[in-house]
Amino acid sequence: MPVNYQQVQLQIKEMGQNAPRMARDLRERADTGRELLAGFAKDLDYLRGLLEQAAADNPGLRCAAPREEPLDYVFSAPPFGEHLPVLLAADGSQVNPNRHDAVEFGLINVGVFRICPGRPLAPSEQVRTTLLYAQDLDSEQERLTEELVALKRDLTERKTLADLAALEPQPVITLTDGPLELFLQSRDDRRLDEQFDQYLDVLEELAAMNVATAGYVDKPSSDLVVRLLELVKLRDRPSAAGRERPLRGLTDAALFADLLGPGQRSAVFTIHSRTSQRFAERLGGALELCFFYLNVGRPDHPSLARVEIPEWVARQPYLLNLLHAALVQQCAQMAGAAYPYALHRAHEVALVTMTDKRQVAGLIWAELWKNGVIPGDMSNKQYLKDLPGRGRRSS
Amino acid sequence: MTMIEIGRLLRSSTTACVIGCRVSQLNTPAFGGMVRIPLGDGYQVYGLIYDIRIDDDGLVRHLVTAEGVSEEVLLDNRLNRNVPVEISVLFVGYEMGGRISHLLPPRPPLTLDMIYSCSDEELCAFTGAGHFGYFRHVLRAEDVPTGELLAAHLSQAHRAQCAGGNHSWGVSATQELITLLRDDYPTLMSVLGALSDAGLAL
Repeated sequence: MPVNYQQVQLQIKEMGQNAPRMARDLRERADTGRELLAGFAKDLDYLRGLLEQAAADNPGLRCAAPREEPLDYVFSAPPFGEHLPVLLAADGSQVNPNRHDAVEFGLINVGVFRICPGRPLAPSEQVRTTLLYAQDLDSEQERLTEELVALKRDLTERKTLADLAALEPQPVITLTDGPLELFLQSRDDRRLDEQFDQYLDVLEELAAMNVATAGYVDKPSSDLVVRLLELVKLRDRPSAAGRERPLRGLTDAALFADLLGPGQRSAVFTIHSRTSQRFAERLGGALELCFFYLNVGRPDHPSLARVEIPEWVARQPYLLNLLHAALVQQCAQMAGAAYPYALHRAHEVALVTMTDKRQVAGLIWAELWKNGVIPGDMSNKQYLKDLPGRGRRSS
Repeated sequence: MTMIEIGRLLRSSTTACVIGCRVSQLNTPAFGGMVRIPLGDGYQVYGLIYDIRIDDDGLVRHLVTAEGVSEEVLLDNRLNRNVPVEISVLFVGYEMGGRISHLLPPRPPLTLDMIYSCSDEELCAFTGAGHFGYFRHVLRAEDVPTGELLAAHLSQAHRAQCAGGNHSWGVSATQELITLLRDDYPTLMSVLGALSDAGLAL
């Protein structure tokens, strides 16, 4: 059956009627947020005090913590010209094991793109592929979950970057898509903890080489700075912090969009969160997670990205400036869709298509036969879903 | 003799084939250029390049709207990205056991066969064999810019023949074309016009 357009039409109409009111509310909150940002821009000790108080009442509190720069600080990209270092961008793609398939396997494909920004040298690309099969699929009677595969992918991305960064003259910039902070949903899975610890080990490797590493978040919906400002609104009731949201709906990107000109970055903040604490416990705090906002848009069309960096990068202005300049240079390559060229190319290199998946499945199938093992059948459900439909293609 | 590879075969028929090559390999082949496809046992097929097609993709379409494309991005797209150049080749003859024939090849080359650009010596050998029998393949081909293709080919072959001491080849080739096209005035005029534009005052 197709979508019931009659029903959805009514819901869309209702949504449209509510939209002006929501937009007005959001504008008011944005005005309040900007006033707070300007008003408390230099009261960093005061804000740290509020945060400490609120965190004592709410250990799960997640928000930005100010560092040395005022909240409304703006910094233009420093000119490096042809003197930017090698940039290594990695992205991963995966096939999640599916019990409905005839042969059940997982696959992690990591693509790395190496470029010398601003220099007329041909970039290069590399792929690392890992098959997850048999013993990997049934570790201690627990199935390989999608979350674990995703974590293995993230780990492989960073491990590959660390291996390749070691071959380059320092400094090197390494870039991945998405935050450096990883969220573990199933906290009772020991395998996730092991992978997470290995992830922190790799970050330590990068720190030891003093690599300017970063995670790039395009179109961020985060509200970490907004949450910090909310502490001011809730200063008389610190226990309500994080639970009551007087500026709900307002994002940091909306807060900084008017403040940052093209190519400018915001102040650097630290992430205060339970997960971030695990990073901060390593290497005397060198892995603690920080971030800044960067406007990679045009004068009339701001486009904000959130850039997550570890503390060792945040505290070295030279590395921070290199990263800032490289990101602006990379985004400028992509005309109206500002996104680091190297990351887009790493994504292209890493992408595993359905054709690739079928091809690998065929190779496994043939190998099993060759070794006298009869592969299973796909589930009846999958078989029926794969039948050609009446002109509709959906899963 | 230096063998210049220009790509590998994508698809073929009795009369023509399409070659795929990377943009970085595109320096060698030119419109009207003669290529050969060795198939083993002294058998090789000859053809003329009549179309060079460079496809785009989403990223390339996006990048063309950028104010300036940096050198590293340009090199990346030309050297690394899997956007092949398609070169269409019209078969004009073959060689078997050292003998050149201007008939169509007995069997077409196969997928992924390697294609080489013909050297001046090979061009002279092919165009000097027989009596321009291969012109009929060009003249009857559909969807081929006949006049332009002949002008480009004659220009290259004439230069190679002159370098080899055969200064009369161009005149003979033009006379043959006039004979072949005597009943097709519009095409004859188009071919002679193209030859004139190519500076072939033969």
